[in-house]
Amino acid sequence: MSVKQPSDKSHFILPDLGEGVHEAELIRWRVKPGEAVQEHQILAEMETDKALVEVPSPWAGTIRELHGKEGEILNVGKPLVSYEVGGGAASAATSAAAKPKAHAAGESEDAGTVVGTMSGTLTVSERFARRSEESNTATARKALATPAVRRIAKELGVDINRVAASGRGGRVTASDVQAAASAPATSARGHENGAALAPRSVVIPAERPPVDADGVSERIPFRGVRRKIAQALDLSVKTAVHFTVVEEADVTALLAKRNEYAKVLGRKLSLLPFAMFAVCRALRKHPELNAVVDDAAETILRKGVVNLGCAVDTEHGLMVPVVRDADRLAPVELADRVKALAEGCRSRTIAREELAGGTFTVSNVGSHGGMFATPIINYPEVAILGLGRSRERVLVKDGRFYAGTVLPMSLSCDHRVVDGAAGAAFLATVQSLLEAPETLLGS
Amino acid sequence: MPIKTAFKTEIEHVSILDEHGQFDAKLAEGLIPDDDLLALYRHMTVCRHLDEVAFKLQRSGRMGTYPQNMGQEATSLAAAYVLEKTDWLVPCYRENAGLFWRGVPMEYVLLHWMGDERGNAIPRELFCTPLAIPIGTQMLHAAGLAWAAKYRGEKQIACTFFGDGATSEGDFHEAMNFAANLDLPVVFLCQNNFWAISVPGKIQCSAPTLAQRGLAYGMHCVQCDGNDLFAVAKVVKEAAARAREQSRPTFIEAVTYRLGDHTTADDARRYRDQAEVDLWKARDPLIRLRGLLKEKKLWNDSKEAELLEFAEREVAGAVQRAEGIEAPATTEVFDHTFATLDPQILKQRETRRTSSLGQQSGRSASHAPAGGSH
Repeated sequence: MSVKQPSDKSHFILPDLGEGVHEAELIRWRVKPGEAVQEHQILAEMETDKALVEVPSPWAGTIRELHGKEGEILNVGKPLVSYEVGGGAASAATSAAAKPKAHAAGESEDAGTVVGTMSGTLTVSERFARRSEESNTATARKALATPAVRRIAKELGVDINRVAASGRGGRVTASDVQAAASAPATSARGHENGAALAPRSVVIPAERPPVDADGVSERIPFRGVRRKIAQALDLSVKTAVHFTVVEEADVTALLAKRNEYAKVLGRKLSLLPFAMFAVCRALRKHPELNAVVDDAAETILRKGVVNLGCAVDTEHGLMVPVVRDADRLAPVELADRVKALAEGCRSRTIAREELAGGTFTVSNVGSHGGMFATPIINYPEVAILGLGRSRERVLVKDGRFYAGTVLPMSLSCDHRVVDGAAGAAFLATVQSLLEAPETLLGS
Repeated sequence: MPIKTAFKTEIEHVSILDEHGQFDAKLAEGLIPDDDLLALYRHMTVCRHLDEVAFKLQRSGRMGTYPQNMGQEATSLAAAYVLEKTDWLVPCYRENAGLFWRGVPMEYVLLHWMGDERGNAIPRELFCTPLAIPIGTQMLHAAGLAWAAKYRGEKQIACTFFGDGATSEGDFHEAMNFAANLDLPVVFLCQNNFWAISVPGKIQCSAPTLAQRGLAYGMHCVQCDGNDLFAVAKVVKEAAARAREQSRPTFIEAVTYRLGDHTTADDARRYRDQAEVDLWKARDPLIRLRGLLKEKKLWNDSKEAELLEFAEREVAGAVQRAEGIEAPATTEVFDHTFATLDPQILKQRETRRTSSLGQQSGRSASHAPAGGSH
């Protein structure tokens, strides 16, 4: 429980701020070196994985040094603040220079986000690029931000709904708020400019960003959801032996069929549920891809049930909810399940169990462009299918040209479990099913 | 055959002093004399200050965890006020005001949350059971205590406190069933604060009131404004009389709200609307009581300032006493469950580590963590 504080009150050791909390992110200092503080006076605001908390001083004294910068993760049991011992406030002036810069709190909004196993093929830069487009077009919406950031905004007197967002998924970060607070007029103008942009236009900054001596323009703490994604991907790539095979399916007929469905239902349907439906059929034929590896027991567990993971891009990061018994669901039901799960992911109401237990994953890597990818397996599964962006193409059949729509597909398999031929055969089955919607869906 | 009505009833809601300052003097008659009213207000103010200080103690590592009572002070206080000093108080963990009124020293509660079990060794003559952290266990204890009193022919009753979440526990229903069917003198005082940590009450109970849960057991049940000292005092007084004279239990739903987080490990902003919190801040039991006292010309701002200073001194003293006690020895965690320790536990006590978590028995005891960690 409690950390033992030094009896000479020379420094204050960061205690467990919740129950079983090991680290906390420093959001904001509320005191300066040289400042005299009272017992219970707030020293800093910190965010644990459970809460934004104010950390008070356990005794009265004069601050000698602050240990840690805003935005930094600090460990429980390490000194947070040093105090002058024996009333020596004389050195206060010299140590005042050590005041930490009010530096960007970075991705502080992500501390503590619970994520499931991660997989996917989007690179960091793609994700960042997409985000800024979203945040520029989102104008009148209620701002997305964590309670921590909202609180900072409230205290700085900033209307968070008017702050330009730079965080993941269009979230307003602490640094956005701080920037808005220091230059409210410019930030509001910038926001309007962003809103006026045509959604598809490409804006290239005319100037280089300011850099430091190393040529670095920004140092982004590698943590939170990003770190958890990294850990999951790292484990997958270091364990599974990846190979990727790609193919295109002519979905012209399927699109016609899809439009029939849409007309009957009175709402839009994407190709994704149809592809998932085809994958489920194909997995019955190729059960070696519907499996998980128990590396500790050196066992391959071939699964009889098909629990289809579906990568969902959310503001909290990439999440992979699982559609249970997907092989028992019709395309429309699959669409509904994916929609419900995706909403659960986005609102963070999804149950942990719904993020685990997948036997195969489908990732819609083309929803923002791109044809082929090298998807990373959602380990311990053994295969993942990435769907690219479907597009119109000139196709050839029986020596004649025709216009059609193709869906690019990229299948990655764990070569330890699935041979190249088996992977290619599976992909060919998916292709045939997608190209023959009558067979796939029945007439 | 015409369909007849098998059973019909209404659930009463008792309110005497509401958040707008409306005061029903007729209903309040003979409930709380003015002198006591002042003492109760002062007491609540001290409890509120303790809440604030305890919260900061946890944040600066001087306390393990702490559940703030803020906003709910009136309920347990009114109950403790109208009960006899020898009636059992069987608390949950948000009844500081009632426990302190009974005479439990503030430092006991602080010690408890600092992880020192001596804080739970409440003097016997105070007739208070220890704080019950596992949700809902204490209601059965209350039924048992009341049963024992009845068996011995004593006029003692038991009043147990619990939250809305506890009414979803099996133990609650067992306790209610026993109390009703064995005619036990129990007051079941449910503090409905609308949130079982982050779970809203409406998804735990489909009925319009929690009070009506008592109906199913053939128990008298009533709802009252839990932030209204007078209303709680009235319904508990009647329930106590029913228990003492007729040996019948009562189920009371006191509608209140916790203005703080569930505990210091919680951040209620993640699941509650600020608008809802603001609404309840206006219904604070302290505000309306202070208003009434001012109206009665019993209170003014200088008295308030004096009281706040008094509260600071009182609380600082309690903190000093709690922190001044020598830390418990690590062996103490073994000392209060079994009269005689079996060999395995004895070995754990000696080596201060467990052998049940897959640790090697050959490892030296010095690897064991030093402090008594709770």
